Amino acid sequence: MDSNKIDVKKIASLAYLTIAEDELKNFEEQFSSILAYVDKLKELEISEIKETSNITQAENVFREDKETIFNNEDLLSLLPHKKNNYLEVKKILNNND
Amino acid sequence: MIDLTNLTIEKAKQALKNKEYSAIELTKAYLDKIKEQDKEIKSYLAITEDLALAQAVKADRMIANHEEKALTGIPCAIKDNIMIKGEKCTAGSKFLENYIAPYDATVIEKLKEQGAIILGKTNLDEFAMGSSCENSAFFPTKNPNDLERVPGGSSGGSAAAVAADLCVFALGSDTGGSIREPASFCGISGIKPTYGTVSRYGLIAYASSLDQIGPLAKNTEDCQIVFEAIRGKDKYDSTSLEQVSKNCEFDIKKLKIGVPKEYFGQGLDPVIKKAVNQAIDFYKQNGAEIIEINLPYTDYALACYYIIAPAEASANLARFDGIRYSEIVEGDKSNNLIQTYLQNRTAGFGKEVKKRIMLGTYTLSAGYYDAYYKKALKVRTLIKKDFEEAFKKVDVILGPTSPLLPFKIGEKTHDPLAMYLADIYTVSLNLAGLPGMSIPCGYEGRLPIGLQIIAPSFEENIIFETANFLQKKYDI
Repeated sequence: MDSNKIDVKKIASLAYLTIAEDELKNFEEQFSSILAYVDKLKELEISEIKETSNITQAENVFREDKETIFNNEDLLSLLPHKKNNYLEVKKILNNND
Repeated sequence: MIDLTNLTIEKAKQALKNKEYSAIELTKAYLDKIKEQDKEIKSYLAITEDLALAQAVKADRMIANHEEKALTGIPCAIKDNIMIKGEKCTAGSKFLENYIAPYDATVIEKLKEQGAIILGKTNLDEFAMGSSCENSAFFPTKNPNDLERVPGGSSGGSAAAVAADLCVFALGSDTGGSIREPASFCGISGIKPTYGTVSRYGLIAYASSLDQIGPLAKNTEDCQIVFEAIRGKDKYDSTSLEQVSKNCEFDIKKLKIGVPKEYFGQGLDPVIKKAVNQAIDFYKQNGAEIIEINLPYTDYALACYYIIAPAEASANLARFDGIRYSEIVEGDKSNNLIQTYLQNRTAGFGKEVKKRIMLGTYTLSAGYYDAYYKKALKVRTLIKKDFEEAFKKVDVILGPTSPLLPFKIGEKTHDPLAMYLADIYTVSLNLAGLPGMSIPCGYEGRLPIGLQIIAPSFEENIIFETANFLQKKYDI
């Protein structure tokens, strides 16, 4: 089904993933077969139906405004790169930006 | 030698109380058995020996002081997407291979407080995405009933550990069938409780509106004991509820059982059909009323699930960037942050996870959102209504848990859609938030067959009673 041919490279980049050239075809085929299957929802005329995203229908659940104190050591020890107990990441803004 | 064969919570509790053995001795017996027998089955990813022995000391003290609770001294296994403070929690992924949980999941806090003994962390499909345990980034788990076959998934390690007597009970999580399908494949009991009854705090999220933690055990009674121990509202999970399961006065002669004809159609293995029908007949012979019902949107449930679950997964798994939890690519040479993300996520996630993240990204992307995601949310409403209508006429719904017998390792790995079809009878419950249980109802040779029992929200008790009736009286 051509309408289900998706641009694997584009979707991968939106999801911050890289798909190797030799895997593209396989991904494309699997996506088309899954999309062809889920396309059966298009048979249904359901414009009047309300959406369900939250099954418990709970709204505005509050809890006490009290902080939870984690052991910083535990959390910091998980960071692969840190400097003076701060998370170290790559530069985001460049001088010429 | 302590006989661990088919050891249940009640039996172990009696033995501990009568001082036939101590919690320490029982724990050591399990640890020895795991070391010896799990080499073949591979249900555990990690053994938490120090934690187990420390809890055993605590349990023996509680027993000596007559302070024992429902699970004091009972050895169990935990699916490796549920966090235990100070222990690794991998979610079956390379991404979290070295991640150490900084806090206890609420269910773990509850088990620890009860004096339960945590033996280790069990294998799963990566981030709970799969129906066979073959998507684990580490190794596949084998079905103890037939080592050439899969144990089901994604809680395959938990189900195999229970079935192989490598723990008394286990915790799993169920997003589209991940407790019930492996319970069915391994010939044990497992329940996915009503959405919101058990806190998800500390469960590594797959699809948050569908995920629910629940027990896998040797029988219905054990499932009920564990369920009662882990349930309850939690301030750290805003979707958790305090609703108490309705009491039920069970009388088989007044029980109305719904049998949906959509659950017995094309694709169902005739052997399973026969075993499930025989079990339903048994209820009938004992006085239950069998009512044929319709769940007209069943045919759309799986499609609906494979839009909603990947969509939620694509958002939930966006947090994995390789910067905060652990290092993925050593000696990162990339010169900007985006490159680092790309590199880490490409190396860290397995193929099925990538596929689901991308599917979700696609159905949520501009131009497709209305056609896929929004439409699926509407179909979800219809599926929920199907059950509401059905439960006006019946107390419980019975059918097969899976259309397939446990399949061979490698048999379906190249055809994702065929694998997804294994969840065809289970996903509807997650979409509708309903509780459902799988119990064994027959065997084809060595391969177990599961019966699924479905009830309205918060009516776990009628599931337990209905399941118990079969388990106590029906000879499989």
